[in-house]
Amino acid sequence: MLQNSVAGLLVPGILQALCLVLFAPLVAGIINKTKAVLQKRQGASILQEYFDLYKWWKKPVILTKYTGWIFVAAPVVYLTTSIIAAMMVPGLLTGSFSFGDAFVFVYVLALGRFFMTLSSMDAATAFGGMGGSREIYISVLVEPAVMLAVLVNATRYGSTTLSQMVIQYDQFFFTVPAVLSCAAFFLIMLAENSRLPVDNPDTHLELTMIHECMTLEYSGRLLAFIHLGSMIKLLVFLVMFGALYLPLPIPMALKVLAGTLIIGLVETLNNKMRLFKVRVYLSAAVILLAVAVIAQ
Amino acid sequence: MDYLFGALGLFVLGVLTMFLPKRLELGAHYSGMLLAAGASMLVLLFSLGILVTGMTVGPLVFGRYSLMVDTWSAAFLLITGLSGAAVSIYGIGYGKGYLGQRIRLLSGLWNLFILSMVLVIVAGDAFTFILSWEVMALVSFLLVNHESEKKEVVYAAYQYMVMTHLGTAAILVAFYLLGSASEDFSFAAMAANTLDTPMRHIVFASAFIGFALKSGLMPLHVWLPNAHPAAPSHVSALMSGVMLKVAVYGFGRFMFWFLDCSTFAYGLIVMCVGLVSAFLGVLYASMEKDMKRILAYSSVENMGIIYTAFGCGMLLTATGKGSMAFIAFTAVLVHSLSHSMMKCLLFMGAGSVLHATGTKNIEQLGALASRMPLTAFFTLIGAMSLASLPFTSGLVGEWMTLQSVITLAWQADAQEMRVFVILAFILMGLTGALALGCFVRLYGVTFLGRRRSSLVLKAHEMPASMLIGMGLEAVLILFFGILPAPMVGFMQSALTGGVIIMPMENLFGVFWAGNGSFSIYSPLILAILAVFIGGILWFTLSGKKCFVEQEETWNCGTVPTRREQYSATGFSKPLRRAFDFILNPQRKRVYLKKNHEYFGRQQEYHLHIPDQFSEFLYKPVEHFVVRSADTMRALQQGSVRLYIGYTMIAMIAVLIWGVM
Repeated sequence: MLQNSVAGLLVPGILQALCLVLFAPLVAGIINKTKAVLQKRQGASILQEYFDLYKWWKKPVILTKYTGWIFVAAPVVYLTTSIIAAMMVPGLLTGSFSFGDAFVFVYVLALGRFFMTLSSMDAATAFGGMGGSREIYISVLVEPAVMLAVLVNATRYGSTTLSQMVIQYDQFFFTVPAVLSCAAFFLIMLAENSRLPVDNPDTHLELTMIHECMTLEYSGRLLAFIHLGSMIKLLVFLVMFGALYLPLPIPMALKVLAGTLIIGLVETLNNKMRLFKVRVYLSAAVILLAVAVIAQ
Repeated sequence: MDYLFGALGLFVLGVLTMFLPKRLELGAHYSGMLLAAGASMLVLLFSLGILVTGMTVGPLVFGRYSLMVDTWSAAFLLITGLSGAAVSIYGIGYGKGYLGQRIRLLSGLWNLFILSMVLVIVAGDAFTFILSWEVMALVSFLLVNHESEKKEVVYAAYQYMVMTHLGTAAILVAFYLLGSASEDFSFAAMAANTLDTPMRHIVFASAFIGFALKSGLMPLHVWLPNAHPAAPSHVSALMSGVMLKVAVYGFGRFMFWFLDCSTFAYGLIVMCVGLVSAFLGVLYASMEKDMKRILAYSSVENMGIIYTAFGCGMLLTATGKGSMAFIAFTAVLVHSLSHSMMKCLLFMGAGSVLHATGTKNIEQLGALASRMPLTAFFTLIGAMSLASLPFTSGLVGEWMTLQSVITLAWQADAQEMRVFVILAFILMGLTGALALGCFVRLYGVTFLGRRRSSLVLKAHEMPASMLIGMGLEAVLILFFGILPAPMVGFMQSALTGGVIIMPMENLFGVFWAGNGSFSIYSPLILAILAVFIGGILWFTLSGKKCFVEQEETWNCGTVPTRREQYSATGFSKPLRRAFDFILNPQRKRVYLKKNHEYFGRQQEYHLHIPDQFSEFLYKPVEHFVVRSADTMRALQQGSVRLYIGYTMIAMIAVLIWGVM
């Protein structure tokens, strides 16, 4: 049965990934526009991210003499894992079979993180190491919450396959575990995608940067790869949020839009928290999820 | 069986090379290592034969001793043969560094070490088992103690000696109690034992203590992070990669054959100990800066994962979901095999770095990837596998472990079981992420960036034999990572004796249907997609004007110095702070020169992370023993009259007792 599904899953998977890749910069643009409007600025066009990607695409990559092949490979791996994650995300086009379950999804993203943090140490500056070190710190704290988020759904649906976890309105509508895990997943999403209040994607001040720190040494097409990868990852999480956790009977595009607007709002209302406060922030997510598992 | 006897014969020949004359030293080393490699390959072939046919050989009785091989032993013979062959090939090159330092002894004992491990696995009765177990312990002690000129090596070796004998004592007690409730001491008779319940608890406790100590589970792990780094690197590889698995073999033998797997408390204890070892092991690993100590602590972590899966299987059996326990026990074997491969690979990598630079302190390394590219590449694969990333065999075992724990949650009818699974998932999540961080740090600081000391300057690529040894393991890790079907299939038939009850392997990967619906991990499809997408992206980079070389890294307008890059200690600082309530790091800052409040200060900074178990468990016990011995000394004055007095007092006491 697995063999039959291969052809059946690849075509929709590829289509879905293409679709997410195309729309990812738009979603990032909408978040930026939302923030600008809420802060009473005019802000850049919602298409600005496309222009930025085009600009980086045309520029050459500047390499220092200390870097090796890992420095070049890391953005490629990062973007590849993001695209594969986009293929795996349920609720859009992919059928009932996939080539990996929720754990595989988590570890595919971990592959990208592994190479990004490695490359951050390759350029031999304090900035890179700082970013890598903090990224590892955040990821260690996020991971228990991610695992529990998988557990909530796995105990509910009896499977770790992502497509089986898609929220079903008739059975699972505004129950305690649904609402709690929805809130917790939102917290996880912000932390995993380096958004406020865990990390500030706009700043370039070394005290506050995490993800931007790691990419500081990158330029040209490699930088475009990394930014596109991050944007795809954010969109993938938004789709996951909508498909698995948001108990609203509306089309996916609207769910993603709602998620985008909420992120814009949260980022306007919050400051970046101190790095060592993140521990408290993420234990909140863990506790919410633990209660959700027990409440089922 | 011919293969096995052939292998044993070759090992004995290899041991005999020890007695070649001194002028043939190098020849003795080469022949010893080649014999070990050949014999290990024969062991590998033999175990494959057993696994394919699913037959049980023996027991073959030789006087008091007997040999017996079933599929459970064959799985561990596979691990021994595979890693033994790869590391022996590596040892041809690596051992040459010990020329003039008792090299004949090293290669002779090397053969004896593998031989004793094979004998433990094929033992058919308690005597043979204990005898080979003891030989294994003594030979590994001698090998750890090989560089006995160094003080810390001798300390580590004797600590290992004491600890491992405590373990042997516990196993002896277990065998003795078991044997006294059976007809004789052969495994077949002991399987039909008539232990009553309280006795069975005692047997379980002593067996678990004995094997947990040998596997380095917390809190019995204290010897491991000292002994494994002290040994020559190829010996550390074999100790971590194979000897720890031999303990898993013994524990499985006890649980499946002699004791009842379905006692709830046993499973709970094993799983809790496993989870704590996994988490704390990797936490300490990410704080260390000695390359081999990092790997040793990571062994504690991986043994923790293996025992977590084992305990999970026992819990599933205990709650009446015996058929579901299947995936957990398969995970035990799969992760044992893959941990054996990846830990051997990384210890070999660490040995190469040590060989090339003369240090294993990663704070003094860096930029080795450009000087030893192949070693760096193989180590990267090992590091990825230990971080359980896709396309490596590490994820297969990890995925199956996670599936088995989630099966436990899903099958649990009781609410308190669910709470336990929540705790298990939190710890496993922390473990997984910390392992990733730990190996990013290890690899990044050692191989990337710029050099941190001039030791790196003399680094060079390794000779062919060492590269072949490492490459063999790296290729296997990738092969089983992308096509896990053969590995999973063999391990399943090892569990069931050749009969596959519930197939988990598939042409495309692994799948698990025990939960009621499907969970799939098919690395083959994933790999094809990754190569396809990555290839396209890589192609877009291949344009001519895509890259521009630049002199310096941008550093806010200044030229960065080598000391400005992150150190390993700095890299783990946020984690140290996040988990300071467990680690309790001790910082000491000494001002060497302080002319001014803010400038011109020269200071020294010491960081010490004490192992909490030795601080709060071992040191008090040690103090108590020493103190009570001191008090007892007052009795021993050495005067004959006093001893006659003691005898008299004792006799009077006996007489009074007799009257009463």
